Amino acid sequence: MRHKFSAASLAIAAALALPAFVGTPAHAFDQSKYPDLHGQWLRVGSPRWDDAHAPLTPEYQAIYQANLKDMAEGGQGIDPTYTCMSPGMPRIMNVYDPMEVVVTPGTTHILIQHIHDGRRIFTDGRDWPKEIDPTFAGYSIGKWRDTTGSERFDLLEVETRNLMGPRVYDSTGLPFHEDNQTVIDERIYLDKADANLLHDDITVHDHALTGPFTANKKYSRTPEAQPVWLESQCPDGNHHVKIGKENYYVSETGFLMPAKKNQAPPDLKYFKQTQK
Amino acid sequence: MLYRTAIGAVSLALVMGAPIGARAFDESKYPDFAGQWKRPNGIGNQFDIDKPKDRGQQVPLTPEFQKIFEEGLKDQEAGGQGNDPTYICIPDGMPRVMNVIFPMEIVVTPTTTYMIVEYLSQLRRIYTDGRDFPKDYEPSFTGYSIGKWVEPDSTGRYQALEAETRLLKGPRTYDPAGAPLHPDNDSVIRERIYLDKADHNLLRDDITTEDHALTHPWTVHKRYVRVENPIYMEASCSEGNPHVRIDGQNYMLSADGHLMPAKKGQKAPDLRYFK
Repeated sequence: MRHKFSAASLAIAAALALPAFVGTPAHAFDQSKYPDLHGQWLRVGSPRWDDAHAPLTPEYQAIYQANLKDMAEGGQGIDPTYTCMSPGMPRIMNVYDPMEVVVTPGTTHILIQHIHDGRRIFTDGRDWPKEIDPTFAGYSIGKWRDTTGSERFDLLEVETRNLMGPRVYDSTGLPFHEDNQTVIDERIYLDKADANLLHDDITVHDHALTGPFTANKKYSRTPEAQPVWLESQCPDGNHHVKIGKENYYVSETGFLMPAKKNQAPPDLKYFKQTQK
Repeated sequence: MLYRTAIGAVSLALVMGAPIGARAFDESKYPDFAGQWKRPNGIGNQFDIDKPKDRGQQVPLTPEFQKIFEEGLKDQEAGGQGNDPTYICIPDGMPRVMNVIFPMEIVVTPTTTYMIVEYLSQLRRIYTDGRDFPKDYEPSFTGYSIGKWVEPDSTGRYQALEAETRLLKGPRTYDPAGAPLHPDNDSVIRERIYLDKADHNLLRDDITTEDHALTHPWTVHKRYVRVENPIYMEASCSEGNPHVRIDGQNYMLSADGHLMPAKKGQKAPDLRYFK
């Protein structure tokens, strides 16, 4: 995997570009130095990646096709989120539920309620931790850039590593390599012609791919000054139950049901008494 | 329920002090809540951290809800989950989220104070922009919180954040013992959040809950210590959760992936929909 930010470059960047924010916290956070990302952002378009152009290796193309076949038969394929597992990165940025971006001097927070989609993008000049548990959202280090010489940041470059799985790109089950060595680069910026349109150009490097896989995600800002933030809690009312490797449904009346045609019931060998 | 934050007072605060639209956020106006906070060492997951857990909490429940609490404890003693809804990853909700099972990050901005609690993916927004409670709003486990910065010192720096939370949904309990909040979900929760005067790495949250399952408001005094070098661990409840709820009952998943009884003598689930 390619690691774009070396420890040395980050240290230099911290010293050169972010002197006020490294070490001691500044007491006046000059928001005018940063792009105005406040408010509520909704995804533009469908929460999908372009699976037709995903450069999957033959091995992972076969895994993807088997997954699609299972889905066609009523299964969940290899999409792990039906049991409320976090979508992880980069699927988080499909933005299933509205997103808030909170910029602070040391961290940019991506707040999405959906399942477990919160992200921290550290912009305090830190290097990658030597030992840290991998996570679905990964560990993200960002760097603000002033690309126009206006003395105002207009681009946030981000790299994300330290991921765990299973993860897929979207609900089609497009897979990542199970080694979880994925590295994700992002360029996050406001549209030059429309300040209410946010871009996230995402490039994925993964061993299930023959080359980098890129998506250009867009989000539109809602006009409401006080947007509605609905709580989205996947386990609340989730009808999917995973027993062993099988997905079952729980009916509205509470009974266990097959999720696929002719699905066998779960093995009840640990019960002394049955209800039928 | 008593609603203390009147529209007039909030509007006045908006005019007097709220820096809405300001592009320079003067952090020195606010107490330093930034960073990661955890429960002090030795503090368990009970709601009132100054009292023993379970019945020792002495929750001022009405007789009707005391009976529900006792039945829940009895079920837990038999291996069940009692009244605690969180075993299938339902969020704690307010005020239980402030038990801070896993560390909490606080982010203060001019118009909103965020409490980011990793455990069960709970996010609180405490609005400090002078708004009133919305008339129509979908209730939620964490509720809708409006706050007001108060008690400026001689330099103009606020000393405390007062917050009021309403618009809640359930089921909610105070802690794993399962002392319940009323299912009408009309709870109102008031907080006063401030740094300890002698130790600025100690955060205090005085929480008063008004709820129709209580005989009178219940106040507890929470404390949190600041983490010097925070690590933000992901707490994904669904990952590896061995609990499964079928037909209102809790079952367990064995290590080899089979359904198991959670209680002695528990019957297997009804499989009427299988051929």
